[in-house]
Amino acid sequence: MAALSNLKQCPPFSTLPDLALRHNHIPELERYPQINLNSELLANPAGQRFYGGQSFVSVNEGVLKRITRTFFDGGFWESLEEARSPKSREQAPLIAQAGDLIARLLGLATGLRLRILPHTQELSAERIAQFAETRDWLNSDVRYLAWNLHLFSLAVAGVDDVVRIYKKSSSATTATVLKSPSQTQITCMSWRPLCAAEIVIGCRQGLCFWEVENTLHLGRTNAPSKIFKHPNNLPITSMQWNRDGTQLATASIGDRSIIIWQPDNGMMQPLKRLGPPGSLLKWSPDNDWLFAATVDRVFRVWNCHQQWTTERWVCGPGGYIQTACWSPCGRFLLFVSSAEPILYRLQFVQQSLLSSSADEKEILPIADLNACSIDTNRTLIGGPAQQLAWDPHGNYLVVTFKSTNCIAVFRTFIQKFDLQISAAYYLSGETAAEHPSFICFQPLYKDNDRSVLTIAWSSGRIQYYAFD
Amino acid sequence: MSASSTSNACKLLLLGRCLRAVLLSVAIQFLLLTVFLLFVNFQLLHPLAWVTGTLRLVASWYTWFASIPLVASVVLYGVVLCQQHLSERPYCPTRYRWLLHYGPCKVLFLGAHLLVGLLTAWLYTGYLHTDYQHLRYTCYGQDCISAYHVYLLGIGLSAGCYYFVSVHMRQEISIEFPIVEHSQAEKMRELLYGSLAKALVRSLLPTLSYTAVFWLFGPMICHKLSHILSVDMDERLEGFFGVATNVRLLFYGYLLTAQILSNMHLMRCFYGILLSEDLPLVVTKPRAAFAHEQDITLVAGLGVFNVYVVQCLAAHYFYKLALRKNSAQRAEIFQLTEPGNRPANWRSLCDQCLSILGSFTEELTESMQKISVLKGAQSLPMPKITESLTASLMAEKVLLRQYNQIHGIRPIVSPTCEDGVDRPADGMRHVPNWCERVSTQLELSLQRLLQRVPGIVYFFKEPEGSKTTFLLANSLPVVYLTQALALVCAASLKEDPYGVVQKDLAAIIKAINKLRNELDKLSNVIGNIRAPSSSFNVLRCAVRRSLYAICNSFCDYLGDLLPPGEELRQLQDLVCQE
Repeated sequence: MAALSNLKQCPPFSTLPDLALRHNHIPELERYPQINLNSELLANPAGQRFYGGQSFVSVNEGVLKRITRTFFDGGFWESLEEARSPKSREQAPLIAQAGDLIARLLGLATGLRLRILPHTQELSAERIAQFAETRDWLNSDVRYLAWNLHLFSLAVAGVDDVVRIYKKSSSATTATVLKSPSQTQITCMSWRPLCAAEIVIGCRQGLCFWEVENTLHLGRTNAPSKIFKHPNNLPITSMQWNRDGTQLATASIGDRSIIIWQPDNGMMQPLKRLGPPGSLLKWSPDNDWLFAATVDRVFRVWNCHQQWTTERWVCGPGGYIQTACWSPCGRFLLFVSSAEPILYRLQFVQQSLLSSSADEKEILPIADLNACSIDTNRTLIGGPAQQLAWDPHGNYLVVTFKSTNCIAVFRTFIQKFDLQISAAYYLSGETAAEHPSFICFQPLYKDNDRSVLTIAWSSGRIQYYAFD
Repeated sequence: MSASSTSNACKLLLLGRCLRAVLLSVAIQFLLLTVFLLFVNFQLLHPLAWVTGTLRLVASWYTWFASIPLVASVVLYGVVLCQQHLSERPYCPTRYRWLLHYGPCKVLFLGAHLLVGLLTAWLYTGYLHTDYQHLRYTCYGQDCISAYHVYLLGIGLSAGCYYFVSVHMRQEISIEFPIVEHSQAEKMRELLYGSLAKALVRSLLPTLSYTAVFWLFGPMICHKLSHILSVDMDERLEGFFGVATNVRLLFYGYLLTAQILSNMHLMRCFYGILLSEDLPLVVTKPRAAFAHEQDITLVAGLGVFNVYVVQCLAAHYFYKLALRKNSAQRAEIFQLTEPGNRPANWRSLCDQCLSILGSFTEELTESMQKISVLKGAQSLPMPKITESLTASLMAEKVLLRQYNQIHGIRPIVSPTCEDGVDRPADGMRHVPNWCERVSTQLELSLQRLLQRVPGIVYFFKEPEGSKTTFLLANSLPVVYLTQALALVCAASLKEDPYGVVQKDLAAIIKAINKLRNELDKLSNVIGNIRAPSSSFNVLRCAVRRSLYAICNSFCDYLGDLLPPGEELRQLQDLVCQE
C-alpha cells in the first residue's frame, strides 16, 4: 500500500509553485453561463410549481364515482387510498371499512412477499440517495449536470424537479426550462449523441425524452416528447447512451436486469442475470464494454464487442461500487467501492493483441484515498469517494468525497499498457462548509479543446474550472 | 455474379437456415409434449415415478408413430413460413389486388395453423384419461360421441385460428434484429422461457372465449357429428354448468391452448433468429481466377430487391461494419484497385446506396402527393400581397399560413379566382357541346352509382396513404443503409487515405437531406394515415442522426461542399443550433 499514490503530499491549488498550472482562468470561461441554482430556487420555490391542473376547481362527486375516477386516473392503490380517505369514511363508512379490510389483507400479502423477496421493497428517496453519484442527493440543490456532446449546452437538474438548459452567455431568465409532473426525483440525465437537442431524463417515473428547441412553435405544448416507464414501474437510477445514440442502457436499484432500450421504436431488451439489482452503468467510450455495478459487492463487465457476454467480479472487502469512470482511450476503468477508500484500476488488454487469452484483465489498487490533513487548520481531504471524473484528454482525474469537502485532482499518464497516477493538487469551495455535489467534464468541442471541469457546489453555485 | 445469381445464392443460403428452423420446430414439439405430460401426470407424492414415467411415455414407440402427422404438419407450416420470408413483396394498391396476390398464401397458412392446432390436440388427447382419448366411447352399452374429445379438438382448431388472426392475418412477416447480440444458446433459452411464460397468460382469454362458444354451439356440433357417425349423443357437456364445472376439462383446454400458442410463437421466432444471422458478405469483388465464385458482395446483397430479407441483412451487415471501431472490411471500402488505382469498392457501394436512397425518396414523395392533407396544404394559395399590408401583418399571415399547412387546416371558403389564373391567353374559352356534356354527366353519375355499391370502394379503391404505409413498413434497409453511409463518411476523415469519399459527399448529404425534408413533411400528417408509427420514427430518427453525423464531421467544409443557398443554410443551422 505504501507504493500507492496518496493525498498526503497534495498542495492546495492556490500555493502551487508552477504558475502555468494556476492559470486556470481563461477568457472563454467568462462567456460561460453564471449559474446559482440556490437563488433561482428561492425565486421559484418548488411549492409554486404549476402543472396546469391547479387552475381547475374540484367538484363534489359521489364516493363510488370518485373511487372509480381515481382508479382510472391513478390506478388501484390510489383508489384504495381514496376509499379509505376521511371524506369517504364520512360519506360511506361501509365502503371505507371494506377498503380497510382489503388494505389489511394486501398488507399481509406484501409483508409475506417482502420476507421472501426482500429486494422487491418499494424504493424510497433515501435509498436512491444512497446509490446516487450526487453527494447528498436528497437535499442538494443540483441533482445532476449533463453537457451536450456536440454543442455548448448544459443541463442542470435541480431539487425542484426542473431541468434548466443553459447556453453560452445565457442567464437564469433565458434558460430553457423542462418541467413536467411526470418528472420527479431526477437521478440522471443524458444528451443523445448525434442529435443537437434531444435529452433524456431518468427519474422516479422512468425516462422522459425531451426535444429542446430554441423556439417553441405556435400551439405546441411544453411536454416530454415521449415517456418510457420501467417494466416494473421502478425509478431509473443510472443510464447512458451508446456512441451512436441508438441504444440507451438503464439500471434501477430495484431491478436485477439492465435494460437496453431502442427508443425510436420503443423496444427494449433486459439483460437478465441473477444477483443483486443494478445501481450504476458506464459504457466505455468505444462501446466495447459496459460496466454495471450493483447494490451489493457484485459488479459485472459486459463485453459488447460481438456477442454480449459478461464477467462477474466481487468487491473483496464488501460494500458496493460507489463510482467508476473510463479512461478516454477505453483501456482502463477506475472505480472505488463504498467500503474502502482505495482507487482501483481494471485494465482491458486489447483483444487483437492477445488472441489466445482474449479477456485478460486484472484489478490493481492505484491510489490510497484515505483522509489526511492538508493544512494547519486540520482541514481534511479524502475518505470514502463520492464521484470520479476523468478529463477528456486523459491527463487529470478528479475525485470528490463523501465526508470531506475538498476536491482532489490527480495527474494521470496513460501509456499503452500502463497507467500512472499522482496526486496533483486540491480544489476547495468558497467557504469551508461548501462541498461539491456533482462534478463532470465538458466534452471537447470543435472550437474548444480544453478540458473544463464543471462543479456543482452544495450552495447551488456552479463553477467552471479549466485544465491546461 | 449477376443479380439473379446473387439472389439465388442468397436464397439458397437462407433456405438452409429455414431447414434448420424446421428441424428445430420439430424438436420443440417433443419438448413441449414433455412439458405437457409433466403437467397432466403430476404426482406430488412420487416425483421420481412422475418424471421417469413421463420420459418413458415420450420415448415410447406410440409417441414416435403418433407424432408423425404432427411433424408433417409442422414441416408444412415451416415451408409456408419460409415461402413468406423469401418471396417478393409487391405493393398492392387495392384490397382486391392484395387478396389476389396474398389471398391464396394466407389461406394456405391458415390451413397450416388449423392443421397444427388440430393435430397437436389430437396427439395430446391420446395421453389423457380414457374419457378424453377417443371420439367415440361406450356409454351404457351404446356407442356415444365424446363431447370432451370434441371440445379438445375444437380448442386446437380455435387456438391455431386465434394465432393466425392475431399475428399473421394482417401483418406481413418481418425480420427483426435483436437489440443485444447473444449467443445462439442464450437466445433460445430466453425465447423458450419467455414464450412459455407469456403463453400461459395469453391463452386465458382464448380458452374462455372458446368455452363460451362451445357452451352455445357445442351440443349442436356434437349432434351433427353423432348423426354423421351414427352414434348416440353425449350429454355430459350440455348446459352452462356442464361446461363451467368441469374443471379438469377446462384445465386441459387451457394447457392445450398455451402449448399451441407457444409452439407457433416459437416456430415463428426460430425463423426470426436464424434468418437474422449475418450473411457472409464481402466488400471487395473477387477478381482472381481461383476466387470463390459464390462470394456475395455487399453491393450485390443490397441490390437483391426481390428478397426483402436479403436486403435487410446486407444493410445490417453494412451498418455493423460501419459501426465497428477498427474494421479491416471498412478499410477495404476506401482502397484502390490494383491495377488501375480506381476506388471500385467505394464507387459501386456509393452508387448502390444513393440509388436505393434516391428511389425510396422519390417513391415516398410520389406516395405523399396522394395524401389529401398534404395535397391540400400544397394547393393553398399564398397570401396576396397588397401595398396596404404592413410588414408585421404580412409576417403574421405567412406564419398563420405555415401553421395551417403544418396542421392540415384548410380554409372553409375555397380561394377565389378573381385574378383569372387559368384564363387562356387569347381570351377564348372552350365550350363543350351537348354530347360531351351528357357523356361527362353520365360518366360522373355512373361513378357515383358504383361507389354507392357496398364493398366497391372498399375493395377497388386505393386507401389514402397506403403506398406510404407500405414504404415505411419496408424501410428497414434504408434505416441501416443511411446510418452506415453516414458513419462511413464520418470515418473517412481519418481512414480514407486517398480521399475517395470526398467527391461524393455532396451527393450523399443532398440525398439524406432530401429524405429528411420529406419525412419532416410527413410527420405532420402521420397520424392521419395508417402508417406504422414505430417504423416512421425509426426511419426519421435514423435519417436525422445520419445527417447530423455527416454535417457535424464535415462542419468546417460544408460551405465548400454545397453551393450557397437554402440547403446550406439549413444544414449549417442543424449543426450550429446555438
